[in-house]
Formats: sequence, C-alpha cells, structure tokens
Amino acid sequence: MAIKPEDALRAIAAARGDALCVPTMTTAPAWRTIAPNDLSVGCVGFMGGASSLGLGLALARPDRRVLVFDGDGSLLMQLGSLATVAGAAPRNLVHFLFKNGVYHTSGAQEIPGGGGVDFVQMAKGAGYRAASAIGELGELKRRLPSLLKEEGPIFVELHTGLAEATPMTAGMGTPFHQQVERLRGQLIAS
Amino acid sequence: MPESIPAPLIIDTLKDTFREARAALAAEGVRPRHDHLGWILSVPDTHQKTVLAALDKERALRVLTCSTEDEANAVAAGLWMGGEPFVLMIQHAGLYASVNTLRGVAMDGRVPIFSMIGLLSREKDKDPRESRHSMVRYCEPLLDVFGVPHARLEGPDDVHLIPEYYRLAQKRRGPAAVLVGLETA
Ligand SMILES: Cc1ncc(C[n+]2csc(CCOP(=O)(O)OP(=O)(O)O)c2C)c(N)n1
Ligand SMILES: [Mg+2]
Repeated sequence: MAIKPEDALRAIAAARGDALCVPTMTTAPAWRTIAPNDLSVGCVGFMGGASSLGLGLALARPDRRVLVFDGDGSLLMQLGSLATVAGAAPRNLVHFLFKNGVYHTSGAQEIPGGGGVDFVQMAKGAGYRAASAIGELGELKRRLPSLLKEEGPIFVELHTGLAEATPMTAGMGTPFHQQVERLRGQLIAS
Repeated sequence: MPESIPAPLIIDTLKDTFREARAALAAEGVRPRHDHLGWILSVPDTHQKTVLAALDKERALRVLTCSTEDEANAVAAGLWMGGEPFVLMIQHAGLYASVNTLRGVAMDGRVPIFSMIGLLSREKDKDPRESRHSMVRYCEPLLDVFGVPHARLEGPDDVHLIPEYYRLAQKRRGPAAVLVGLETA
C-alpha cells in the first residue's frame, strides 16, 4: 500500500520541531493546512527548485534542520541538484522525495521512466550521506526521529499515492514573495 | 576601447561589497553565524575563469559551484532568507538557460539577486548589440525585456559598478546585473 502523502506530512509535522520546511507541488496545499503559517517556504513558480532553495537555507542556517518535500517530476527537471547538494554536504538537510510516479499537478501524466526510476540509487551515486526508500507509514514514523537527527544530507524516497489536492485545485496559497518575506523575518528574529 | 579587469581587483571589490552587505545585515538584526564574508554561487564562466581560479585560494569568500544557473538562483533565495550575502557568477548562456528561475525567484520572489555575467566572445571593437554572436547580442536586450537593471564593466575603472548594482538589487528587492565586457585578466 502506498503511503498517503497527507499522512506522511502529518507524521513529519508531528516530529519536526522547529525544522524549516520546503514543500512544492502537491505537498504544498496539504502542508499549508497541516502546518499553517509556520517556518516554511514553498517552491512555487520555479519547478525543480525545492532542493536548491532548501540547500540555501541549510547553508545559511546550520543551526536549523531543513526538510525538503520534493516531487519526482520536479527532481527530474533539476536532477543535477542532487550533486550540488551532495557536494555542498549540508549536515542539516533532509530531502524527502514524494514519489507518486506522475506529474500530478499538471494532470497526472506519467513521469519519464514511470515508477521504475530509482532515485535512491541516484542520490547515493551523487554522494548523499544516506539514501533509502520508505513504502509504509509505520516505517516512516519509526525512522523519523533519527532522520531528524542524523548527519545529512539524507535522501528519503517516499512511495506515495496521489494527494487529495493539487495547487491547481486548491490554489497556490500565499504568493511566493510573501512567503519569502515572512520566513526571512522569522529567521532574522531567531 | 574596453580593457580586461585583473582578477585581484574584482576579488577585492567583492570583499568590500560583502563587508558593506554584512554591516547592513547586522543593522537589520541578522546575527553573525559564519566566518566568511559571503558566497559566490557559480556555474563556471569561461570569461571570468581567472577570478574563479583566484577564488580557489580565498578563504573569506565561499564558492558554491552549482550544476545549473536555475539552482544558483534558488540557492540564492535560501541564503537571502537565512541572512547571508551572495553574488551569482555566470555567463550569458547561463542567463538564457535560467530565465524561468530569474523570473520565478528573483522577480516574483523579490529576492535581491546580483549577478556578474560574462559576455564570452564579445568583440573588443564592437558594441555587444552589434556582435556577430547571438549569445553576446541578446544578453542586454533580454535583461531589458525583464526590466533587470544592468551595467557593463569595460575596464578596471568600472569596478565601482559592482557594489553599486549590488546595492541596487537590495534597494529594489529584485535582480540586478553587471556584464563583464572582456575576459578577466
Ligand atoms: C518549467 C516548467 N515546465 C512545466 C511546468 C508544468 N508543470 C506544473 S506542475 C507539473 C508537474 C509536477 O510534478 P511533480 O514534481 O512530480 O509533483 P506532483 O504534482 O506529482 O506532486 C508540471 C510538469 C512547470 N510548472 N514549469
Ligand atoms: Mg509526482
């Protein structure tokens, strides 16, 4: 059984503490109901940029954990970012990939290679400190405490079903520049 | 006639620019958390390779090489939120390659991204807009289309444009660029 993306996000929300979060695509609408107005910034309007956005945050603020909620189509669009993240080696970055096998937001077209693309191997090959797949909610819950503590960069491929909402059905939420401004203000103050 | 700018002059100017940026950030309430002055986000530009070579020996400036200019822009936004100063060092082809991210991050996100863009293959005796090379010719017009303020470094006397356009990016909360006219020395 594939993990429901909303369940994965709820489990992460319960465990994350004050980690900064970077949702994108179908994790974005779900995340803003699960964790409204908090230490998060969505990658909206530049597909594939979530992991790089998270990398910048992680490098600027090594005192904070940074969690990226990437899409599989998005990661394929900027696949080289795996090497960039691995090369920069932020100890505080966890890169969650919500692997649903499709471009859900644009109409659920199959991604190139479909479900067969092995992102764990790619992340390992790029040089992430650890990379693994999780196909079951209980396992995610069990492993979260260590994922939030161990030295990064860590890559986690979550095998998920389709989200209930997409940015097309639920709207884009707060404009990107307001999210940027808000998180910057929160980070300066803390 | 344009002249090449020596790498050490560019590096000293970048250091001064970052010192000033750090002071402005401190005035804003950003606490110092790093020993270095700032970040150079680079996808190697052939035109500025002497600068990149000299940066290898610099401890005060941290170079992060990205696989794409898209990444460099998104990393920049993360650094901006985290209170760190940075400069993008790319070439014109990189600008063309990352137009969607320039729009999505620097413009829509109102992130002050200052870029140094190398005009590789620019002919010494020609205005870039009259270049034989499309890569050289379209760079300034493209920036104009997006309303990105830009200036050209045509020799050592022009390095003052680096802090000026860096400040301009901060002031307008968006992108600003200087174009490196000739290969750095
Ligand atoms: C540069 C660019 N090309 C194409 C699109 C169209 N597009 C919007 S959402 C999307 C699919 C995203 O898929 P994925 O990253 O797997 O996330 P999911 O929707 O499955 O959560 C695409 C292709 C875009 N936004 N930007
Ligand atoms: Mg997908």
